[in-house]
Amino acid sequence: MSRWQRLVRKAGWALFTILFVVILNFFLFRILPGDPARQGVRDPRLTPETVEAIRVRFGLDKPVINCIQTFSPLEFGDCGVNPLEAQFFIYVANLLRGDLGMSFYYNRPVGDILGERLWNTVLLIGAGQILAIFAGALFGLGAAWKARTSIDYSALIAGLVAWSVPTFWLGIILLFWGSNNGFPIGGKETPGMSSYPFMMRMNDFLHHLFLPTVTYTIVFMGEYLLIMRSSLLDVFAEDYILTAKAKGLNTFQILKDHALKNGMLPLVTIIAINLGYTVAGVIQIESVFSWPGLGGALYEAVTRRDFPMLQGGFLLIAVSVIAANFIADLTYAYLDPRVQVE
Amino acid sequence: MKRKILYLLLICAFAVAACGGGGGAPAIVRIGWGQGPDTLNIGAAWLASAYTIAELTYSSMYELNLDGTITPDLMTEVSTSDDGLVYTYTIREGVKFHDGEPLTASDVAFTYNLVMSHEDFPTLHSYTEYFASVEAPDDKTVVITLTESIPNIESKLIFLYILPEHIWKAHEGEDAATFENLEMIGSGPFKMLEYKPNEFIRLGANPDYYGGAAKVDEVIFQIFSTSDVMVQALKSGQVDMITGVPNTSVETLKQDKNIKVVSGAPLAPDLADIIFNVTDPENCPVDEGGLCTGHPALRDKIVRQALAHATDKQKIIDVILLGLGDPGIALIPSGLGEWFNSSIKDYEFDVEKANQMLEEAGYLDTDGDGVRELPDGSRPLTFRMNWPSSDTTAPRMAEILAETWGQIGVTLEMQAVESDALTAQCCPTLDFDIILWGWVADPDPNTLLIIPTTDQIPTGYNETGYSNPRYDELFAAQGVELDHQKRVEMVWEMQAIIHEDAPYIIPYYAYAIQAYRTDRFTGWLDNQPKVSLEDPSSLLAGEPVK
Repeated sequence: MSRWQRLVRKAGWALFTILFVVILNFFLFRILPGDPARQGVRDPRLTPETVEAIRVRFGLDKPVINCIQTFSPLEFGDCGVNPLEAQFFIYVANLLRGDLGMSFYYNRPVGDILGERLWNTVLLIGAGQILAIFAGALFGLGAAWKARTSIDYSALIAGLVAWSVPTFWLGIILLFWGSNNGFPIGGKETPGMSSYPFMMRMNDFLHHLFLPTVTYTIVFMGEYLLIMRSSLLDVFAEDYILTAKAKGLNTFQILKDHALKNGMLPLVTIIAINLGYTVAGVIQIESVFSWPGLGGALYEAVTRRDFPMLQGGFLLIAVSVIAANFIADLTYAYLDPRVQVE
Repeated sequence: MKRKILYLLLICAFAVAACGGGGGAPAIVRIGWGQGPDTLNIGAAWLASAYTIAELTYSSMYELNLDGTITPDLMTEVSTSDDGLVYTYTIREGVKFHDGEPLTASDVAFTYNLVMSHEDFPTLHSYTEYFASVEAPDDKTVVITLTESIPNIESKLIFLYILPEHIWKAHEGEDAATFENLEMIGSGPFKMLEYKPNEFIRLGANPDYYGGAAKVDEVIFQIFSTSDVMVQALKSGQVDMITGVPNTSVETLKQDKNIKVVSGAPLAPDLADIIFNVTDPENCPVDEGGLCTGHPALRDKIVRQALAHATDKQKIIDVILLGLGDPGIALIPSGLGEWFNSSIKDYEFDVEKANQMLEEAGYLDTDGDGVRELPDGSRPLTFRMNWPSSDTTAPRMAEILAETWGQIGVTLEMQAVESDALTAQCCPTLDFDIILWGWVADPDPNTLLIIPTTDQIPTGYNETGYSNPRYDELFAAQGVELDHQKRVEMVWEMQAIIHEDAPYIIPYYAYAIQAYRTDRFTGWLDNQPKVSLEDPSSLLAGEPVK
């Protein structure tokens, strides 16, 4: 099988998975108890007539799909309805046109909200991931090279502590420290700076980004450090490292040409998985620092039974996870020629 | 190195241009709050925070004051027809919208007609319930014709904010509820400057406001996801005021000499309730999916009264609210002033008396396991107790109840349930025994009094399934009673009935707790009967510390 055939096949599977998610997303949330036309609000002002009118506005008066009127509670309906009058097919048709619908709760297009929130999350996670990867890989490498010395043990302990410390707790501690040292502790910008020059807004934004990024970096660095260290220790035990040493290569060459490429494989896997999932937002960090990211938006959407938001949001997560895995697959082939041969 | 210096110079130059222009820094009040509005379109809004912003940016016919009274805002004169069905209002002249257009009677009529015709406005539509027609014969006269002579039209007009016809005209059709209304043009004391959903709202003082311009230049509402962080933001001076202080932070905030904590009755009355499923099988709303699986013992008034005697309200207030609340009586909170029936004597906390009541009514512990059974011995007094999982205080209340109710031979199967699932289980399904929940309501007692009426069983608002012809009769009568004193008497009697029959135990009416920094601004209305520092009247009164 040629390289291209393999690529096409993998892409095909990815597309198939996304299609499956599209369908599952639609039905999953409609099976949950709860009524989007009430949004979890108990208010005598909300009369049954109003609930009905809202249901019509949201298109929830239409059958979910042919033969089924509603899922929660389960009610069967007319099988002969025009499919274009059924919620499921309207959803699919709109999706094909790139229209994710209007959020029931925010009264805004889902695409706009997801776009804003995704960008905020990507900024936070992007900065945190890059720092965590570099720091984790570097410390892991140092620990493995100096295995069973005090350097190794302190790195190991630091890694374990960083990895196991509860995220929100670390966030709160850093927040208290930061608030007494001039760092802003809520949101991503100081309100009212929109007319200020770019450099000042950038400076303000970086100040807001600092504490959440440090929290993120510490938590994820621990994980990367531990994985990097253990995978490198395995590699160091291999015969070819001994051979390389025997050939008289210097430390840097051994690490660069022989150890790192092999030792990176497990780390790439973890990073890919993390990247995919963290698009969903690091909800604990977001909630401590009031960061307007995706995680909080999705949490809110679940409590409000905001179907269009949930469908759009979970589709976005699924696509990110699948894309991250796809990229990881490609990276493997580059890092490890054995994968290509099979 | 040279480059760096150049950059620094550039930044400084910009900074000077940005800040040094106006001569004196603008007075910006930064308010931390827990939840932003869902939308700036008040028609489509669900949340109280959307109304908070609307109060500041819009005008309406009347305003609700922090002492609970209702006084004229846009209207100057009113005459009522003898049958109480036609109200003719004269409105203030010379009022302008934020964009400079004049506000006339036709804007008022347009707004009321818009709300009337939009049944899909979740909360706003209900305020036009009894409106038959609204007309504007000339620029300063509005004529409202009602379908019934109701005593409380003012309390409805408070929330019917006047929208500019020249903007909303284009959206009066189907898209009225999906219009984003980001400009939020109104005629109130503050105007919308900038809105970042889930981050902040920036309002600027309206210099042309007919009630006198605010003494501050801007008000910023910044949203914090965690209340403890909001407290820290106040302590470290990143915000000047916070509208919701967690009870646990009150003591530490009080020790800060630059911070003042204010607590008292909230502007929107709210109450916690212990809901008993008392549904009579013949009232079960089967067509609406009613299952009515309530424990039969809870249909017995004696059992409910005994549970009320075994409820230590003061302990609940001390533990959950750290003392910052009043013991509850019936559905009308004490903060509602004259509507609250202050003559009712509550069930005193007396476990012995509760035990004696159950004993006399035949609920005996025949098998000696410490749990009483029904008089016919068929079923133990084991009740399911649920609460919404988002409620962080309910588990502690459940514990306190389990302890004292345990002493009268009652056991509880306690479980937190996700809010929407709980709604599905609660009403009108009535598939529960006891639920711990609560209500937030309007200044007029109607919205709370309607809850235990028989008509509301199928709609799901009558969460207890309670039905009492006398109560229903009183509810209907007070709704059209134009004599204020008579209406108050009826409302008092309704509370007495609910207290006596005890389909609910109302454990407490919680205080609103707010706090502000005294070193930045002064003059907020912090000594009013109701606590709301972010109310327009308060924000208009505050000024920077000199």
